[in-house]
Amino acid sequence: MGLASWLILLPFLTTLAVIAVPARRSDLIRWVALVGTGAHLILTACTTYQFWQLASPDILAAKTATLTKLYFVERIPWFKSLGVDYLVGIDGITMSMVILTSIIIFTGVLASWNVVNRTKEFFALLLLLVTGVFGVFLSFDLFLFFMFYEVAVLPMYLLIGVWGTGPKEYSAMKLTLMLMVGSAFILVGMLALYHYAGGTTFDLTQLAQYHYPVEMQRWVFPLIFIGFGVLGALYPFHTWSPDGHASAPTAVSMLHAGVLMKLGGYGALRIGVYLLPEGAQYWGLFFMALTTVNILYGAFGAIKQTDLKYFTAYSSVSHCGFVLFGVASLNLMGLKGAVLQMFSHGVMTGLFFALIGMVYGRTHTRIIPDMGGLAKVMPWLAVCFYIAGMASLGLPGFAGFVAESHVFLGGFFGNEWSDPLLTRTLTVLATLSIVVTAVYVLRGLAKVFQGPITDHHFDELTDATLTERLSTGILVLTLAVVGLAPGLLIDLIESALLPFVNRLHATGLAVAGHV
Amino acid sequence: MLMLPELIVVATGFLLLVLDLFLTDKQRDLLVPLALAGIAGALAALVATPDHGVLLGGRFAMDPLAWWFKLTFLVAAFLTVALTAGLLENAAPEVRKLHSPGEFLTILLFNLCGMLLLASTRDLITLYVALELATIPLFLLAAWRRDALGGEAGLKYMVIGALASALLLYGFGVLYGLTGTMQLDAMPALLHADRVTLFAGALVVAGVGFKLTLVPFHMWAPEIYQGAPPPVTAWLSVASKSAGLAVLMLVLFHVFRPFLHDAGFAIALLATATMTLGNLVAIVQRNILRFMAFSAISQAGYLLLGFLGGGSVGAAAMVFYLLVYAVTNLSVFAVIILHNQQTGSTQITDYRGLSRLNPLLALAMMLGLFGLAGIPPLSGFVGKFLLFSVTAQAGYHWLVGVAAVNSTISLYYYLRIVRQMYIEAPADGAVPLKPGAMLSAALLATTAASMLLGVVPTVYEAVRTGAAVWLQTLGQ
Repeated sequence: MGLASWLILLPFLTTLAVIAVPARRSDLIRWVALVGTGAHLILTACTTYQFWQLASPDILAAKTATLTKLYFVERIPWFKSLGVDYLVGIDGITMSMVILTSIIIFTGVLASWNVVNRTKEFFALLLLLVTGVFGVFLSFDLFLFFMFYEVAVLPMYLLIGVWGTGPKEYSAMKLTLMLMVGSAFILVGMLALYHYAGGTTFDLTQLAQYHYPVEMQRWVFPLIFIGFGVLGALYPFHTWSPDGHASAPTAVSMLHAGVLMKLGGYGALRIGVYLLPEGAQYWGLFFMALTTVNILYGAFGAIKQTDLKYFTAYSSVSHCGFVLFGVASLNLMGLKGAVLQMFSHGVMTGLFFALIGMVYGRTHTRIIPDMGGLAKVMPWLAVCFYIAGMASLGLPGFAGFVAESHVFLGGFFGNEWSDPLLTRTLTVLATLSIVVTAVYVLRGLAKVFQGPITDHHFDELTDATLTERLSTGILVLTLAVVGLAPGLLIDLIESALLPFVNRLHATGLAVAGHV
Repeated sequence: MLMLPELIVVATGFLLLVLDLFLTDKQRDLLVPLALAGIAGALAALVATPDHGVLLGGRFAMDPLAWWFKLTFLVAAFLTVALTAGLLENAAPEVRKLHSPGEFLTILLFNLCGMLLLASTRDLITLYVALELATIPLFLLAAWRRDALGGEAGLKYMVIGALASALLLYGFGVLYGLTGTMQLDAMPALLHADRVTLFAGALVVAGVGFKLTLVPFHMWAPEIYQGAPPPVTAWLSVASKSAGLAVLMLVLFHVFRPFLHDAGFAIALLATATMTLGNLVAIVQRNILRFMAFSAISQAGYLLLGFLGGGSVGAAAMVFYLLVYAVTNLSVFAVIILHNQQTGSTQITDYRGLSRLNPLLALAMMLGLFGLAGIPPLSGFVGKFLLFSVTAQAGYHWLVGVAAVNSTISLYYYLRIVRQMYIEAPADGAVPLKPGAMLSAALLATTAASMLLGVVPTVYEAVRTGAAVWLQTLGQ
């Protein structure tokens, strides 16, 4: 068994290990989860190193390739008569997403150190969910992909419903159902992809060699894009996200906003743009416009929020809009920006939700106007919060800047299938969100951490504990590393994205010939 | 030897009937193991039986598809008897005990025999007789508890059943009039695409529609599911549906195959109506048995999708899904039966806090419900996926969308029960349920099966190969 399989299997084995521990030994359960996810982090680091060595010589070949080259491929036939394989592999996009997920789950386990109610079930579900996430990122067989996709979504219902706060049952149900309707769209698209290509294989790398009829691409692409877009908080299908994130417990918000929402952008890119380039060309402008609404709506929505979690959730809607905006811009710069934004937003939101959980655990309120001057009593948390905020408004030096600048440049360059005037106008509109983001982030931070202490109870509060410092520290460090040395990540993803662009152009000529 | 499983089942039935006369009440506890042994023997005989061959001048035939149907019937019967054991034994609480265990088991076995025969019949008369044998015992079983609800259930079932039989018989009559033969396989060549054929087809589909609970022939299901004792409901939901599907496949594939392709749109509409109505009405149910009735109705809608395109892949998908549905549904019913047996309740809200009281039972129930909703990696997902795939292959992409959205709706109401079990706190004074050994074993087996069928491809591949062979022999 190769590295790619181990990356999926390890969290699953950790789940089983957590289940095997008796329920009353909650300390042991935490440690098992921590060791399991820590081991996964190490495994990911080793894999990244090996991947980097294997993949970097191939970058020249990628410049003209139309098929993504996979590494660490493992294929085991499964349902032979359907053409379903257990097929896992790694390319640059996958690698960066695996790194992200591994970091988030490790810090997420640290951040849920004080979950006391039904600890065993909590960690088991959390780890099961993350198994599904790794499965989605690593599988290159559509059937397997879809299977893991649902495994990743469903534990969320119980995680929010049991351990959440506020109107948790409502939020959990809304989230689950909306995401499942999204997956219904994906299912229709996926079966169309399978049967149009002859109904013999679900292998993504083989389907990619089949040229789908343009008419078919045009009706399937929006299904795939919207289906995944629901998870990526595409306007107007984002409404599950604020409620869901606000009700979810800390680690679940981290994982959901940090990683799960990335599955949306990832799927839209990997299946939508990769398999249906002509559909993407046809719908690119439409989705650019829709995601511009996303970006602005999320940002303006965040201004109005008084609950820290709703505040971050709306800001996530805006930032996830960048991901889908980058995907819809259909050029190398934009696609790179999309993947970078997936990474940077994942880390940033993970940090945000971790911090909110920690602050809430102390103040027992998440209402921004009720708080003030917290920096005096919890300097560590305040500094981390500032860093997350700065990254979120795109300050150079943090990952957010690298990603957003790529996305905006990509949008501005546009592509030959959409009117440049329109794409540029949309990009300019989208850039306005930076200003709005600055407004809400700075105002929010100032209210919560600056000024006089509003409540005398706050005087007795303590700063971050060791586990909390560890988890926030790792996330801050990641933000800074990617912000200061983005080349590390860009090298990983660029060679994987080149074939996407080449495919778009290979078919683009044919389409231009018709017109 | 082709008929050995049927013979063993009938022999066991008669043996129980006779033994029942001589045994004391205490000794009657032996009857359940005996019935189980009989069914297990029939299963063993079935495994040893070749999956092709004819008897009685072609009136009784074995083919790979019939083999899989019989397997499903026998497995379902075995599990049902195992689940019922706790209610039949002497130690069962007097209020909810099922009286006369000997007669109960005998009737169940005769019913099973009717179904087994049904899968193998190849002419109109035997088909009709087998179908009656597979139906009439159910009326008795439904009314087993001689209370108001049970009586209503039994009577209603009988009246509706008679109506369905009449429709079916009318259809058969027209078919005989048109073709002048009783042999199903001789009919396609003699039928023409005209209105009378369509009429006959409609009558037969309507008649079978009652058994399969297709909308608009589904109205009987909720009352009967609610009124019959829960183990009978479990048997009904699985067996009656399987028998209905067996008949529909016999008629549509053997007789109406030339017209199946043109009937695609009608099938699509029937499937859409069935799953949508079943799902929407299930949402508002408060009684778990009525709830399962509507859930079963919607499942029939998914099953129907396999007829689209009229190919062997679709047939394989239906048979596989039926098997999956049988084990998954029975695993949910295992918990329902136990819960009803020990609390006397059938209200969904009375399942609250089950995960605190009986974590494993709640887990099994949740897995069963997720299986019915079609969540991976449970076999319900693979089964539905196969049916949807057939639909897409036949070009009905919109129907895949309808069916997939319907799955989401169904997830909503299955999650309502999960919510009661996992999110709500237990009621004051609620005590953990105490499952008996036989029920636990059956529950474990069904849960394991419903997971393994989705992960291990062997069974599906076997069904698929069998269906391909079966359709080829039909074509000749």
